[in-house]
Order: sequence, then C-alpha cells, then structure tokens
Amino acid sequence: MNSRQRRDFEAGLAADVDAWLRGKPTRREFIKKFGQLTGMLAIGGGILPAFTQHLLAQAATDLADPSTPLGQAQALAVKASTEGPTDGSAYRATQAAKQYSGITINMTYEVGLQALDPRNFSGPLWEQLTGIKSNVVELTNPDQYSKPVAEHIAGSGAYDVLDVSPGWTPSLADGGVIAPLDDYIAKYMNTADLEDYHPLYRALPTYKGKVWGFFDDGDMFALYYRKDIFEDAKLKEAYQAKFSKALEVPKTWEDYAQVAQFITDQMAPNVYGAGHFRKAGNPGNQFDFLQQFRANNGEFFNNEMKAQLASDAGVKTLQNMIAANAASIPGNNELDAVSLWVAWLQGKVAMIYSWPPTGRMTAGYSQSDKAINFVPQSTIADKVGYAVVPGNPEHAAGYNKALAADSSNPDAAFLFMQWATSPPVSLARVMLPYALRDPYRLSHFKSELYGQLFPTAKEYLRNLNNSANVGVLDMIMPGAQDYGLSLDRMCTAVWAGADPKSSLETAAAEWDATTERLGVDSQRAFYQEFLKLPGATAANTVEKLGMAVKLD
Amino acid sequence: MANTALPRKMAAANGARRAAAFSEWSDRHFKWLLVAPAVILILALSIYPLIFSLVVSFINYDFQIPGHAFVGLKNFRQVVFDPVARWSIVLTAMLAAANVTIEFLLGLILALLMVKHFRGRGLFISIFIIPLFISPVIVGQAWALLLQRPFGPTNYILSQLLGYDVKISWLTESPWLYFAIIAADVWQWTPFMFVILLAGLTAIPQNLYEAAELDGVGGWRAFWAITVPHLAPMMLLAITLRLLDTTKLFDTIFIMTGGGPGTKTYTASFYLYTVGFAQFHISMATAGSWIFLVLTLIVVTFLVRRLLKAEQTA
Repeated sequence: MNSRQRRDFEAGLAADVDAWLRGKPTRREFIKKFGQLTGMLAIGGGILPAFTQHLLAQAATDLADPSTPLGQAQALAVKASTEGPTDGSAYRATQAAKQYSGITINMTYEVGLQALDPRNFSGPLWEQLTGIKSNVVELTNPDQYSKPVAEHIAGSGAYDVLDVSPGWTPSLADGGVIAPLDDYIAKYMNTADLEDYHPLYRALPTYKGKVWGFFDDGDMFALYYRKDIFEDAKLKEAYQAKFSKALEVPKTWEDYAQVAQFITDQMAPNVYGAGHFRKAGNPGNQFDFLQQFRANNGEFFNNEMKAQLASDAGVKTLQNMIAANAASIPGNNELDAVSLWVAWLQGKVAMIYSWPPTGRMTAGYSQSDKAINFVPQSTIADKVGYAVVPGNPEHAAGYNKALAADSSNPDAAFLFMQWATSPPVSLARVMLPYALRDPYRLSHFKSELYGQLFPTAKEYLRNLNNSANVGVLDMIMPGAQDYGLSLDRMCTAVWAGADPKSSLETAAAEWDATTERLGVDSQRAFYQEFLKLPGATAANTVEKLGMAVKLD
Repeated sequence: MANTALPRKMAAANGARRAAAFSEWSDRHFKWLLVAPAVILILALSIYPLIFSLVVSFINYDFQIPGHAFVGLKNFRQVVFDPVARWSIVLTAMLAAANVTIEFLLGLILALLMVKHFRGRGLFISIFIIPLFISPVIVGQAWALLLQRPFGPTNYILSQLLGYDVKISWLTESPWLYFAIIAADVWQWTPFMFVILLAGLTAIPQNLYEAAELDGVGGWRAFWAITVPHLAPMMLLAITLRLLDTTKLFDTIFIMTGGGPGTKTYTASFYLYTVGFAQFHISMATAGSWIFLVLTLIVVTFLVRRLLKAEQTA
C-alpha cells in the first residue's frame, strides 16, 4: 500500500466511523475496513520484528582492541573456532553447528549484566561463525528456576539453553526439565576439555551418574583485604602489644572478628575493620552461615534427616558472625552486595569477602566498561591483597549451562553450550569487564592473558584457585531455596536481637518441615548424593581428597 | 427457457430473502460482536484464572514436587498452621490501621487548610499530590536511601538537630522499621486522602456556614455539625479505598526491608509472594490467597454497607 492508497484508506475509514457513529447503515464497510486494518497490523506486526531482528543480528560482535589482553583472548577464541586445533571442542562445535544455520536458539540468562555477554559477545560471535541466531531471555534469578519448570509443564519448548544454579540440578533432572548430555558429549566433544575444570567444579553438573550441564561460573568467595593497613607499623605494634601476637590476615573466624574489631577501634570512622552484606532477602546471610557452619564442623542433617542447625557448631557460627557484625561498618546489617562494594571501593572497610568480581572492581578493570559504571571508581586499586576466607570459603551459587529437555533444536543448543564453555571461548568470556562470569577452568587460572588484565591479576587468579581447593558447595538438593530462606530469616532475626539458640531451633524446625513436605526418604537420597561431591563438607574438600591444584 | 428461468428467479428471490434475514439478524446482534472481545478478555484473564486458582488450591502444584495429585485441604492447613502466615495477617491489619488513620488525619488537615482560596493555593496543591504519581517501588527505594546506614542522611540530620550521635538502624531495628514503613506509605498516600476530602469539602454548600455564622455558631461546632456530616460519605469512601489498597502492601516492604529482620515485616502480600515465587509452593500460595481474600471480603463488605448507608442518609 503506497502513501496515497493509505491516505485514501484512512480517509474512507474515518468517514465510515463517523457515519457509523451517526447511525448510518455502513456496517459492512466498517467491518471490511476494520478487517483490512487488523490484517495490516497482523502482517506488519509479523514482518517488523523479524526485520528488526535481522538488522540486530547484523550488528558486529563487540570485540576489544586486538592489542589488549582481552582482544587477544577474543582473537584466540575465534581462531580456535575457525582454524582449530581441529580436535578442540570449540572447533568441533562450530563445524558441526553450521548445518543448523538459520535457526534461533533461545537461552535464559540472569537479567542485567550477566546477559551482556550473549548479547554483545558470545551470541553475535556464534551467529557469525555458524549462522545460528540467539535469542537471550533475561530472567531474575528465582525465575531462572520457575520459568523453565512452568514452560516444561506447559510443554511449550520455549527455551533451548538454560542457565541454572547447580543447586537446582537434582530437581530439574528428576522433573524432566533438563536433559542429560552424555550422548551429546560422546558425539561431539573432546572429553579432554572436561579435565580442564577445577576439581571442585568438575562434578557439579553430575547427578546420578549422568552429566546434566556444563559448569560456567566460578562464584568462589575470597577474602580481600587492605595491605596498607595490615602492613602499617603502628597498627602492627599496637596489635602485638594488645594480643601478644602479630597482626596478620585472619585464618580463623575468631581471629577475623578480633582483627576487625581492632581495626575499627583504631581507625573508625575513617576505616572500619570489616563489612558484610547482611540485608534481609540477600543471599549473603545464608552463604556466610553455610561456610562458617561447615568450617566449625557442622552437619546439615543426621541419619534420620533431622536438621542439625541447633548444635554447638550452629551457636558458635552465629556468635562469630555477631562478633564480626559488631566490628563492622555502621549499617552492616542493612547492606546488600552492591552497597558493600561501594563501601569497600571507597576505602571505608579493611576486609570483605565476596564474589570474584570484587577483585576486578577493586583493580578498576570492571569500571572500564560503561555498562558497569554504576559502581564507583576504586580508590584502593594498589592497596589490596587476596587471601582465602577463614576456614572454608563458600562457592556461592554459580551457574551451569543446561540443555532444556523440550528444546526443538537440542543438537544446536548443545553445540552452543559446548562452544561457549570450551577453554578458549570461556576464557574470553570470563575476561569481559562487564561480565559477572568468573574463572573456573584450570586454563583460566593459568592464563597469561588473564594475568595481564591488571597488575595483581595473577595473584588474584592464584587465590581463586586456592580458595576452590578448600571451598565448600551450596546445598545441592530439592528444597535448597526453602532451607536457604530459613537461614536468612534466622540470621536477620538474630542481628535484630533474637536469641541465637532459639533462632537456630526455629530454623531447624522449618528445615524439618521442608524435609517432611518433600519426603524424608527422598531427601535423604538427595542428601547422600550431595555428600558424595567434593566440597560438600569441610572434611571432603578438594584438598582433603588429595585433588588440590597447585599453580606455583 | 421459461422452465429454467422460473427456478432461477425463485432461487434469486430465496437468496435475497436469506441475505435480508442475515442482514436483519446481524443488525440485531451486532452489539454482541462489539462487546465480544471484552467479554472474551474478561473470561480469559479473570474468570478462568479465578476458577483455575480454586482448583490449584486443592491439588499439589509445587515446582519442587512432581505431579498434581488432589490433596484436599492440605494447602489450606499448611497456611493456617504456619506462624509466619498468622503474623503476616496481624501485621497487615496493624499497618493498615496505622497507615489509614494517619493518612486520613493528615489528609483532612491539609484539605481543611486548602479549602479556602489564597494566593499560591494551586501551587501548594500541585506539590502535595506529586507523591501520588510516583511508583511505590521508587518511593520505597527513595526512603531506603534516606534511611539506610551508613549512606543515608537521616541519622546525620537528626544528630545535628538533637545535638547527640543518633545511631538508629531504621530498616533493621524494631520498632523503628515499622515507623519507616509507615512514614513511606503515609508520605505517598496522604495526598490521596487529601484530594478526595478536598473534593468533598468544596461540595458542601457555603450558605450552611454563613447561616451558622449568623446564628453565632463557632468554627469548631460548625466543623462537627456541618462539615463532618456532609463529608462523612467521602470520608468513608476514602478510608475504604485506602484500606483496600493498604492490605496489599508489598512494594515498599520488598524494597525497604525485604520482609526482615526475620519475618518481622512480612505482610500478607509479602508472605504470599515469598511462598509462591521464592519457594515455588504455588498451590500453598494460592490457598493462602483465597484465605486472605475471604478475610478481606469480610472487612470490605462491612465498609461498603456502611458506605451505601451513609450515601442514602446524605
């Protein structure tokens, strides 16, 4: 329809509407025009998105300056995908995927920064290499569980590749939401690449003897501390005089609270000893409790699957956490993860433990991208040291890439997963400044290119590797959300003044109710499966099992 | 020719009759065609989900437990015997009562101040109603930023005003967190009361006040004898609408306290959200919603009856 025809049509329609409003008998004309209009909208609505999508797909992949370490890593990823080595998983995936050129795979990603990788880098690059388009569906973290389940129940086939927390694997696998990858791995993959995962992460996507995804985000907690404060001669002298021992980066939770309190006493209000993200509804409370509880030899359940929270280990854990809170920055119990980063980057606290992006933000690397400029510039870039969290650090959440069981393009979806998590491509992805994907492969920890990202990057990588050696995992069993919510409620109630012992008993009762609701025998079986994983308890960390990775 | 022409004519006549009948039928029923989209939308988006939610509350619909077996009243029992659910209803009632009372009193005072014309009145009214146009999520975030330690300025300002160091944790310390939640709600919704009551006040005939003045009736007595009776239907309407809205309090809680510390700021809506969308016990959350709906209906029915009675009296 040209513009003249369109003008005539609109004029005619307006006349008909007027006539109809006046009650003149032009009903058929009105219906005819209305039908034409609806048809135009339907056709236009169908064509326009497809056209827009095509234009967007033509947008160039967001590649870094080739002279930078990130640019070099990206070039290597492209080379590995196009030239080989021909037995590499990246090359194999790219070659095999070309037969699916033209299709679109739908992948879920956490809303916000996480989704920038497939939108700006891996998605467009994959399309450039194979012709396969990607549609990134951004979901909040809880929806990354609930939406795939809901779509599976509806049988919609809405998703092909799912980003899921490892803790959800048993539920999703038993519920038929995700598909095992063993056959695809045998068909397409160079299995040597599976050996490149850090041992803590290698077994994470496995369940009941099958592989249910590829691990894709090393969310290991680590301790970040102010070297200038710990090396301050006057402070060291005062600490020695007060406690008859040297001021050192703490290795136990008792020492942690003591050192934090000492720094606060000496330096507040300019600097406080520590800071934590303790706001209700944030995962900080449950992750911190889980790591300290197990470092204190706490066990989640006994043989009857009764919760063991209200134990000496539980009381000791809460007491240590209360002492640390008291030694922390004012408002500690109201901070979320981002607020804590702000306080840290502004030099207001001497120690924090958090996810790996902390190190990249501290060095000022993350803020080099405008997508992450809501985080303030670091004022402490050259003053920070890295250490393992006292006891056993938590591997807090993380992501697996899983294959949706209802995918209509399972091979193409699997090949994308294989390619994106392959050593060269995943290295380029974890090096993106705006990405929240963190190193997890041995080749990441050893990467010379990553080591050049910022002055202390090698030390940072070494510390992440060492943390994984002694790290403990989140609970990987059904009901993990309920158990975690109970811990969050318990902790925040205690911070507000509730009695630790009775709060532990309340949380234990909630855990028991959850276990009974899900079935005691069934939960016991899941728990036994979980205990088999390296890092399930402080007694079977990677290091305790003799599988520690030494980088030096 | 004649033999074939006659049936053709008859057929044509029949066709014309059928067309006329169809035209007449469609003329009579054209109105239904026009309302059909709306009816279909209501059926699809309101009636069907309502019926489906009733079904869901009697079956297992849980993203952690496979299958949809009939479970009778189990979902309802789980809610009734959950201490968090009971507390959330108590807190909802308490917050609703406090919020609506304060908003009503402040709204009434503002309306009484603004009912008389003075220079700059329009500007004041415009400023007063600005909070109404702000999303509750933004209101919650703004108040959290004001109150949150260590970055919020509230404690600093109070310290300067009071002359000593104020260290209140407004978002995590009882009872201050309740004051914070009430303050945010009152700030946003007092203008709603104000606008409705101002409309009611301006509708009261001025000659009543003039007659009262001639009879020597003082301002306070005129308020009770003239203003309150005439304003009563509007007062009841404003209170009813706000009470309905306050029982759904969620946004500011979600942003400001996250339901914590513990479960101290779990309102009914926040509880249902947590059960349904954080724990994925959909059927339990649905059963809870029905329980909450019935409780709300009791209050609403009472208020609506009073409202209708007040209108009839007026």
